[in-house]
Amino acid sequence: MYAPVKKGNIYSFQHVEKPSEIAFDYTRTMLPPKKFFVRPKDEMLRLKGGKWEESNGVEPIVLFGVHSCDIHGLEILDKVYLDEPVDPYYKKRRENSIIIGMSCMPDEYCFCKSLGTDFAMHGFDLFLHELPDGWLVRVGSVKGHEIAWENEELFEELTEEDMRNFREFEEKRANSFKKHLNKEGLEDMLDLAFNSPVWKKYEKICLGCGNCNMVCPTCRCYEVCDLWMNAYEAVRVRRYDSCFMESHGLVAGGHNFRPTRLDRFRHRYYCKSYFDPSAGFNCVGCGRCDEFCPAKIEHVKVLDEVREGLQ
Amino acid sequence: MTFQTHDARILEVKELTSREKLFTLRFVDPELNRSFKYKPGQFVIVDIRGFGEFPISLCSTPTREGYFQLCVRRVGRMTKYMHKLKEGDIVGIRGPYGNGFPMEKMEGSTLVLVAGGLGMAPLRSVLWYALDTGKYEKIYLFYGTKAYEDILFRDEVIHLLKHGEDMNCHVKLAYEVETPSCIYLEKGYSPRVCKGVVTDLFRGETFDVENTYALICGPPVMYKYVIKELLDRKLSPGRIYMTLERRMRCGVGKCGHCIVGTSTSIKYVCKDGPVFTYWDALSTRGLI
Repeated sequence: MYAPVKKGNIYSFQHVEKPSEIAFDYTRTMLPPKKFFVRPKDEMLRLKGGKWEESNGVEPIVLFGVHSCDIHGLEILDKVYLDEPVDPYYKKRRENSIIIGMSCMPDEYCFCKSLGTDFAMHGFDLFLHELPDGWLVRVGSVKGHEIAWENEELFEELTEEDMRNFREFEEKRANSFKKHLNKEGLEDMLDLAFNSPVWKKYEKICLGCGNCNMVCPTCRCYEVCDLWMNAYEAVRVRRYDSCFMESHGLVAGGHNFRPTRLDRFRHRYYCKSYFDPSAGFNCVGCGRCDEFCPAKIEHVKVLDEVREGLQ
Repeated sequence: MTFQTHDARILEVKELTSREKLFTLRFVDPELNRSFKYKPGQFVIVDIRGFGEFPISLCSTPTREGYFQLCVRRVGRMTKYMHKLKEGDIVGIRGPYGNGFPMEKMEGSTLVLVAGGLGMAPLRSVLWYALDTGKYEKIYLFYGTKAYEDILFRDEVIHLLKHGEDMNCHVKLAYEVETPSCIYLEKGYSPRVCKGVVTDLFRGETFDVENTYALICGPPVMYKYVIKELLDRKLSPGRIYMTLERRMRCGVGKCGHCIVGTSTSIKYVCKDGPVFTYWDALSTRGLI
């Protein structure tokens, strides 16, 4: 079982043995739960005797305490990785995991409410909502039903009071958001703002480190390379890549399709704000890119400035 | 499995130029060899085991079965390894990927193939396909190269230059660097062979815009100028097809390296392309 654990000032999903290790009131982990499905460094194939063999199997895991925005993030990854042709590694890991969601209170970085990802209707097995005297549990899958069925003694019937408390909590939560993204016509607005001076302003501030890509629950670019383990064995490994790296847009012969930091900075905003009619935006408003940006660039502020520049 | 490659044996290695080699391959598994179908314009991922993978377009035609060909230019680490391989060596292949050119839709029309440098490789697949099936009214090949020594598939191109007219295939060649061989060619086939760039070959050419498709492949800088020539001749953007290049790692729309476009239109070059029309380029920023 993996759950949020506090280490220094940072929360992260770690292997836990007992409830006391879990940080129930965490805001956000540095790396989103995607790290369990799209690994930062992931062995795909192993070369033995001149033949590729599939790498070892997958251990079943329980992910406890996943916030609603991260559940939405995983659903966006599902769209890509489970689409034909299915990514076998991702699929196996998704099938072998149990997702237990947990309610949260937003901090100054969260803007998930603006994107409609502050509440999860699916994408989890169980979802725990905090109440004054326990948890209200929503069941989101067959697997979730089975868990509830097998552990009947842990559950009590829902009362009117529980529902009232749940509503109060959700209301309080909805009113606690400090950041709002104006998503009205966002994708069209950005399309018009390709030459906005705001991009040029931020190009100078951005360090091009790619941190925002690493911590983003929906960023999924990866690079592949082969590594020799010894004279007879090699592995094919994929690892996170970042569209902020110059090599990302490079092709044979040295031509680069996104040669400047301006191109790369803008590209990320376009990719995150792309609106898919069936899946929504590619951003879930978790606030990680803001919190972990060493240059203190704020996602919502950039988009607001671009919008203002158009008016 | 999605990322497992299949053994293919190199049947022949032919040196095309000092930088490009032509590899003729066949799958070791005879069943796979029979079932391997592809369209001109599609690409495969080549796997040099223990060294890595790279995408490359198929330059042979599906009308000739039992083998397939890849034209590989030595530009980086992976292609350098590929160039060291010899007849009988095994590489891994997965694919074919991408959409390919809509050959059936274009049947009965005139095809204008515009190739620049290495762009000749994917268009050779179209050229052979069109010649083999004979289902196209007329074929033009406008080919721009740096020098005589850089002409890919030189014997084929020169053969078509000489005898192509009998097959309704009109070849025109532009070169940039003057060498004795070029001058000899120019003397024999002027004005179809000239010093200049590929757009110079359009001079004096008109097409029946209702019945013509243009297919372009070349270095990124070429598209803008070639497309201008075609639009000047009133060819509709929907009749202009081009095949594009990106650093595709997975080939199946996962790894994100080939994502282009803006917030309203995002395309994966590997699965939405690599063949796009000029309409796509107009509605998807960053495509060309």
